[in-house]
Amino acid sequence: MNDVHHFLADIWFGLIGVLLILYVVLDGFDLGVGILSLGARDDNERGIMMACLGSVWDANETWLVLLGGALFGAFPDVYAIALHALYIPIMATLFGLVFRAVAFEFRENSRRKRMWNIAFGAGSLLAAIAQGFALGAIISGIPVGPHGFTGGVFDWFSPFSLLVAVGVVFGYMLLGATYLIVKTIGDTQSRFFHQAAFAAWLTVVVGIGVSLWTPLKFDYVRAKWFGENLYAIGTLPLCAAISFGVLLYSLRRRHEYAPFAWSILIFLFSFIGLATSLYPSIIPPDVTVYSAASSGKTLVFMLTGIGMLIPVMLIYNAYQYLVFRGKVTTGGYGH
Amino acid sequence: MLPPISPSVDLSRGQFALTLIFHILWPVFTIGLSSFLVAIEALWLKTGDEDYYRHARFWAKLLLLNFGVGVATGLPLEFEFGTNWAPFSRFAGNFFGNILGFEGAMAFMLEAGFLGIMMFGWRRVAPAIHMFATCMVALGASMSALWIMSANSWMQTPAGGHVANGHFVVDNYIQAIFNPSAPWSITHMWVACLETSLFVIGGLSAWYIYRNRHRAFFLRSFKVVVVAAIVITPVQIFLGDGSGGVVFEYQPAKGAAIEGHWITNPPGEPAAWSLLAWPDQAKQKNDWSLEIPYGLSLLATHSLTGQVKGLRDFPRKDQPPLLPLIYYAFRLMAGIGFFFFGLMIWTVWRWWRRGLTPDNAGRNKWLWRLWIGAIPLGYIAVEAGWTVREVGRQPWVIYGIMRTEHGASMLPASTVAGTMIVFGIIYAILLVTFLYFARRILLEGPDVTMEAPPRRGGGLIDTRTAWETGEGQSSEGMK
Repeated sequence: MNDVHHFLADIWFGLIGVLLILYVVLDGFDLGVGILSLGARDDNERGIMMACLGSVWDANETWLVLLGGALFGAFPDVYAIALHALYIPIMATLFGLVFRAVAFEFRENSRRKRMWNIAFGAGSLLAAIAQGFALGAIISGIPVGPHGFTGGVFDWFSPFSLLVAVGVVFGYMLLGATYLIVKTIGDTQSRFFHQAAFAAWLTVVVGIGVSLWTPLKFDYVRAKWFGENLYAIGTLPLCAAISFGVLLYSLRRRHEYAPFAWSILIFLFSFIGLATSLYPSIIPPDVTVYSAASSGKTLVFMLTGIGMLIPVMLIYNAYQYLVFRGKVTTGGYGH
Repeated sequence: MLPPISPSVDLSRGQFALTLIFHILWPVFTIGLSSFLVAIEALWLKTGDEDYYRHARFWAKLLLLNFGVGVATGLPLEFEFGTNWAPFSRFAGNFFGNILGFEGAMAFMLEAGFLGIMMFGWRRVAPAIHMFATCMVALGASMSALWIMSANSWMQTPAGGHVANGHFVVDNYIQAIFNPSAPWSITHMWVACLETSLFVIGGLSAWYIYRNRHRAFFLRSFKVVVVAAIVITPVQIFLGDGSGGVVFEYQPAKGAAIEGHWITNPPGEPAAWSLLAWPDQAKQKNDWSLEIPYGLSLLATHSLTGQVKGLRDFPRKDQPPLLPLIYYAFRLMAGIGFFFFGLMIWTVWRWWRRGLTPDNAGRNKWLWRLWIGAIPLGYIAVEAGWTVREVGRQPWVIYGIMRTEHGASMLPASTVAGTMIVFGIIYAILLVTFLYFARRILLEGPDVTMEAPPRRGGGLIDTRTAWETGEGQSSEGMK
């Protein structure tokens, strides 16, 4: 592998990171809204919560489709090994997302909405939990042989991955609640201010737990964090802590947009921390950015076909958000 | 070094077949209906006739319902390559994964990015912008057919690269994307989507006409369908013939299986075409067959004595399995294609004889009955065609390069069986629920008094927020 190929593999590691964080933040707030809907006060409120997602959830979920395709093309070994090893959490995510997706339209058409309320809420919760387990399992490492994954079908389950799953659920709830603050008014909005503060504390407590446990449990993380880059990596938790402080302040002052923005920043800093801890591994301990990358020709071709389109996709997605900006006051999904 | 054979390879095949067979139902209609809606909306903008606007709104309800199930059931496919076919994914990712990535970036995101505006944005953006959004949804949907058919065609007729270190490495992207099967398969499938949707839209319109509900209103959509069918039905027969030619050239075992052809005809002698037969793999011959002399040479090579390889030229282990299934699925698909063509001809003749006016439409009951009966036929033809294509490719996952049993992930059979059962249950629920709600939408019928928004004016975005206009965000669609 030459320098150019190295460089291309690094670029794609970065782009996969961009796609992942776009998915996690955008569908994260969708799933968070879904989880929160399980505790909605009444059906009207639940209707408003779903209407807040009506025009955007589908595009948000599509970042996952794009992430899957881009990972498959740029790092086929990572795609194959991770999905094979995480068979059960991935399938659970898919089942959850299937129910979440059809719930919008089916609930709208249905006269007995209860079943689809549950499909929406439970589907979102299942997807969030399963994604958390998958993340925890990847951090924990996946054993690999010459023909790919060599472990068992339940390897993804551990106390550590359970804690990560709990953290992901709380984090998504935080994103969902702060998004709902942006989109609602009055009593409803007021409830989401409380829920956001609650979710923020839970997220941070679990986040600290994960951050302490990770270097204690995994040598590769400890070596990375407490090596020569201590100060550079140390700024990330500092930034996250500041974001948390400002988030709490903005919630107390009832700012409408700031809480969502600061919640996203908390995710962003945590995510960069994760990426730097892993790099140059993608799946510890054996699969690295360089061992898993496609040929240089494929990476260049994908860069022109996908990389260049990312800004265009962002623009028309932003346009759709702009068209549907403003507060939601009634439930329903477009009929 | 070949990957070991997984104990769950047949279950993984079963699960993939189940999820594909179910999923393909929905994009077929999304692609065709969104293209139809482009035409309908353009007609509204051009003529100013509000009935076209009402048509757009009515059919969009079905599109949205259909789209939701399509998105939900498409997502698993993107990930099943990795979960159940990890060795295949590692081997083919350089090309195959790349193309799936293109599909996400150029097709699905485009579709999703404009669907909200198309569905809920009627009064939020200017009509020209809305038209643009509808076009982007249709384009995105159609682009997904282009990329997925290119990727699947590459599995049928791999080209454009070499194998190194257990990976397929691309040398020439043009050759790989437009591999021998791709041009015919892309167009054949895309036109199949249009054709299936035309006969669904036409059949549903016929149902209203037959029951004398909004007869004049639905004669409009019906006529748009018939005009399109005049072009589409013969083109599809031509494309089907071309696709078959590629099969005989590049996948001769599949071609022979489709036609129950066992023994290669000697040079200079014609091969007969069996119209009906029962291929028997154990005996390596047909139990019985009804043959048309010269037929197969003519069909496969377009010459009277062209040579067509027979199945016995291939060792048993390289022959496709389930021969009667392949044989009859092909005949079912082709038969439906010709039925559509005939129905189109008859309808055009009735139109010529002034049978398609609101006053006369009640007289040809059988015409409407046939159109109503044709509603599911396109789907059946699509499923049958895919059965021929995928079962006929066996025992290969990548034709001539990787055998299917070497492509499957090592998973316990119980795990795959478990997820397959869950898929089966969920998809059964989705299908029943979809049909239930679709029936309700159809029984309710269109709102023929709905007022259209002004055709001109408006900016890139409505500068008022929904709050200021007094409209709830999503009840938008009702107004």
